Amino acid sequence: MSTPISRSTFLKTLAALGLSAVAAKLLAQLKLSSNVLDLFHQSNYFAPKFTCRLLGPSQKVGHMLRGDLPTGPVKETKKTTVTIIGGGIAGLSAAWWLKKEGLSDFVILDLEPAVGGNSRSGKNQISAYPWGAHYVPIPNKESLYVRQLFEELKIIQGYAAGGEAIYDELMLCHQPQDRLFKDGAFHDGLVPKRGLQKQEEDDISRFFEKMIAFRQAQGSDGQPAFAIPIALSSSDKQFTELDKITMAQWLKNNNFATKPLLWYVDYCCRDDYGSTAAFVSAWAGIHYFAGRRGTAANSEPNAVLTWPQGNGFLVEQLKVPLGNNIQLNALVTNIKKADGKLVTTYLNHESNQFAAITSDFVVLATPRFVANKLLAKSSGQTSASANLAAGNSHKNALAAAHAPASTPSYAPTYAPWIVANISLKNLPDGQGVLPAWDNVSYYSPSLGYVVANHQEITTRHKPTVITYYFPLSQQEPKASRQALYKASPEQWSKTIVEDLEKMHPGIANEIISIDLWPWGHGMVRPSVGEIWGESRQKMKEPKGNIFFAHSDMSGISNFEEAQYHGVEAAKIILAKQT
Amino acid sequence: MTYALLITVFVISTCGLVYELIAGTIASYLLGDSITQFSTVIGVYLFSMGVGSFLSKYIEKNIALTFVQVELLIGLIGGASATLLFLMFNHIDNFRILLYSLVAIIGILVGLEIPLLMRILQQRLDFKDLVSQIFTFDYVGALLASLLFPLLLVPYLGLMRTSFLFGLFNLGVALWTIHLFKDELPWRNSLRSTAFILIVVLVSGFAFSDKLMGIAEAATYQDPVIYSTTTPYQRIVLTGNSKDLRLFLNGNLQFSSRDEYRYHEALIHPAMASLNQPQDVLVLGGGDGLAVREILKYPSVRSITLVDLDKAMTDLFKSQEVLTRLNQNSLNNSKVKVIIDDAFVWLRSTSQRFDMAVIDFPDPSNYSLGKLYSDTFYRALKKVMKPAGMVVVQSTSPFYAKNSFWCVDKTLASVGFNTTPYHAYVPAFGDWGYVIGSLSPFKAATQASYPAGLRYVNSETVTQMLCFAPDMLPTVTSVNKLNNQSLVHLFESEWSEYVDAH
Ligand SMILES: Cc1cc2nc3c(=O)[nH]c(=O)nc-3n(C[C@H](O)[C@H](O)[C@H](O)COP(=O)(O)OP(=O)(O)OC[C@H]3O[C@@H](n4cnc5c(N)ncnc54)[C@H](O)[C@@H]3O)c2cc1C
Repeated sequence: MSTPISRSTFLKTLAALGLSAVAAKLLAQLKLSSNVLDLFHQSNYFAPKFTCRLLGPSQKVGHMLRGDLPTGPVKETKKTTVTIIGGGIAGLSAAWWLKKEGLSDFVILDLEPAVGGNSRSGKNQISAYPWGAHYVPIPNKESLYVRQLFEELKIIQGYAAGGEAIYDELMLCHQPQDRLFKDGAFHDGLVPKRGLQKQEEDDISRFFEKMIAFRQAQGSDGQPAFAIPIALSSSDKQFTELDKITMAQWLKNNNFATKPLLWYVDYCCRDDYGSTAAFVSAWAGIHYFAGRRGTAANSEPNAVLTWPQGNGFLVEQLKVPLGNNIQLNALVTNIKKADGKLVTTYLNHESNQFAAITSDFVVLATPRFVANKLLAKSSGQTSASANLAAGNSHKNALAAAHAPASTPSYAPTYAPWIVANISLKNLPDGQGVLPAWDNVSYYSPSLGYVVANHQEITTRHKPTVITYYFPLSQQEPKASRQALYKASPEQWSKTIVEDLEKMHPGIANEIISIDLWPWGHGMVRPSVGEIWGESRQKMKEPKGNIFFAHSDMSGISNFEEAQYHGVEAAKIILAKQT
Repeated sequence: MTYALLITVFVISTCGLVYELIAGTIASYLLGDSITQFSTVIGVYLFSMGVGSFLSKYIEKNIALTFVQVELLIGLIGGASATLLFLMFNHIDNFRILLYSLVAIIGILVGLEIPLLMRILQQRLDFKDLVSQIFTFDYVGALLASLLFPLLLVPYLGLMRTSFLFGLFNLGVALWTIHLFKDELPWRNSLRSTAFILIVVLVSGFAFSDKLMGIAEAATYQDPVIYSTTTPYQRIVLTGNSKDLRLFLNGNLQFSSRDEYRYHEALIHPAMASLNQPQDVLVLGGGDGLAVREILKYPSVRSITLVDLDKAMTDLFKSQEVLTRLNQNSLNNSKVKVIIDDAFVWLRSTSQRFDMAVIDFPDPSNYSLGKLYSDTFYRALKKVMKPAGMVVVQSTSPFYAKNSFWCVDKTLASVGFNTTPYHAYVPAFGDWGYVIGSLSPFKAATQASYPAGLRYVNSETVTQMLCFAPDMLPTVTSVNKLNNQSLVHLFESEWSEYVDAH
């Protein structure tokens, strides 16, 4: 009676058993299958039950910026001493300094319905949340403007006997600060440390030793090798040479080859610069680790300051005294010189009317690609270009020698980002340590998420908002940008939820809503030669009474750089004025 | 028939692995440390299977009968295993003995299954095919179980229902085997009816498993549960017998009516009695009104502001008769104002000033509670105190969690309070600690300043309370800050040490 079962019968049996018999049939017998199917349906994020909205910088206006800037008859002309174009951190900081020094006759023009630029924030019933910048490290000794602002805003509450600043502890990032999802569980901190091989551990500690040495290093000019703002860094060749290779190359040159370290460094480059270690210059890459030397009387060194609305908190504070100085929805289309003054024309894209402001000085605090466009336009109009050039003739001639007649020489590239604010009924704990402020996955091309209401002092169990950050660094910016805008909000939501599901299975069921914010030109990319090359030096040069102020001019993008350029522009104007 | 029996192999191996996974999971849930639990459960299980296989050689006759009996037993024991483990957890002293015996019994029975089946099949298949097919089905069944368990079973059925369900599969196998061997089996009918009775038992277990889970919870408490509710913030359970009333929040004992007077007298009187005519008193936490009861013993008091997060809690202690008897209706007193808010948020917004503040929060067992013990919190607290004011903070046990206790002391001191740590023995809790923070140096009251009728506190007991034995002194100290949460870390490690040791 020996009847060996043939292979096909075996497979059939298996299929029959595995699927129908065990799952469907028996569950059906128990009248459960419909429930189970229901549950499956709920967890099915391909048919989201949550709302999903596409927000973000005005796309209509964005189009105008990319194409030919509109022109039209000017309805009214106002007068002011200074026109600040762009109300991001740089523009607001210029205003802060001018006002502090007694110059209140200025206007800030911003094309958006709110100031803040990349540091804007939003708010819903659950929490405020950032749309971009979300933290500032405690400032270094040399970061004087940042310290001054923080003193004014009482973020620095005083100084301890040893001279170290005392920070408002509600703003210092609360514990637990960060956790990393790796090997199926969350671990404390972002540096991979669990389950490493000896070689990997050695690499990581050797890397940090080198970074500490860089942090303490000084150039022959007595300046710190890596300062914040970077303008105060040493120009000693032994350090600036690092700008000539990529971070990845530097790692290779120094025999760093183990995966956890390479992941970590790459993560940091993506976090700070929106680009990979294979792209950013070693100088920029190292700056992330070696630049921060902040200490405090009441926290660990290198702590960070954060708020539910991220750096939107600083925007709100800077904005307070500026109520009447700000003109929103104002797309600047032209700057020209007339009768020794500068005439800034803008389109109020709400009322669809053009207006102009005549002033002695202009602070051009827009991203550089916009500034280029405004200036190219001006130089296209013969009289204006001649006038503009007159202020600074030989330098402009130099710039012209490097570039085609109508395009300015400095054209940085930008990393596109997508940011999502996701409201959750509950934040799943996940395996391992409890939710931290910053939650990162070792396996994701995104940067994970930040819990917006982490700093709250309530013990209530409330719904949560998480801010998900994703720099599109896997392709060249142009391709990424196209992908960014091509995908529908539903497609983006799907991608994001799938990514989060890997860290938190079942999180899809907790989502109340997803709001998306694409940043087509999120961050300037510190490519090789960008920071210490010639063109960045040149682009700082004012054009007549037009002064440039934007974080782009540092080649890297953060609060300290934006503020520095804003204040520096204000200082020059104040000096010229008296 | 061969085919039918091989399917049997597949089903029983799936069931066997599921029981093992259930035991491992429950052990990790209840005892923590999943690595240890899983590896010991698997070890015991595999070893027992070996024992079962060994024992199979002593079964000489009627192999089919034994197989059916084994199936019936596995169905019952395996099927009820999750419920058994959950229900018994709080009733027996050594849970591990139950756990491993259960695992061993199931393991032995499962170990018997395959050898018995092999012997049944041995006349029908070549040895070569027999071995290959039996083990193929066995391993495939194991694969299926290990996939179904985390993906479908635990998330959608839960552990109790899963174990009942797989018990039913074993019973199904028993019935099937009875059917296949109907011509050879003795006592066919009684076997069949046993199987049906067991099926009824398991199906009802499956249907009522929510109820069973409720009983398992009730079993956590020694006394009958007389009231329970789930609020947005916590689960409140009140148990009682004729002599003792106990309140549990999220399963943690808050007080026992037998000795709560010790806890609350010690919390209030050392500070209150030392103050000169305190008038305005703040109570943060303490929605049970028991601290308020003690404060009302001072005639100089004209207002008590109680801030608690959970309205359900204060409502309960305002209205339930057994409870208002216990707190002497304190929350309904006209001097008392109950505010429902987050203590930290409220503290930062109030303009009132107080002579005395009583901080009676749950222990710092998580980060959001840890914030209520931070220097930032105490700084906000200091701002609402009148110049001669005094605060007292319940600060966990200086015996079980001494470093946590001294961390509270150090944190209060770091914001400029003069601290006076003390402790009292409360039988339901053990040795319990408090810290007084005063803006001028603390001097214990004379006997005359204590209200009449106290059962525990007097000037002599206070003198004892101030004294710390060497085993209560700290080995590490730190200031608890929002940006280090050192208290939560200390508390966690100290408390888990204590739990592990017992
Ligand atoms: C996703 C993301 C996350 C970030 N996270 C951090 C962080 O955590 N910490 C940190 O320090 N930095 C972060 N940054 C960097 C951030 O860019 C800087 O902190 C800072 O906000 C830059 O300010 P800015 O003023 O230089 O530029 P922008 O913010 O770019 O401001 C330029 C302003 O000019 C306006 N404008 C442009 N064109 C015109 C026109 N034609 N007419 C009128 N107005 C115009 C824009 O609307 C905008 O408001 C992040 C950036 C991004 C994109």
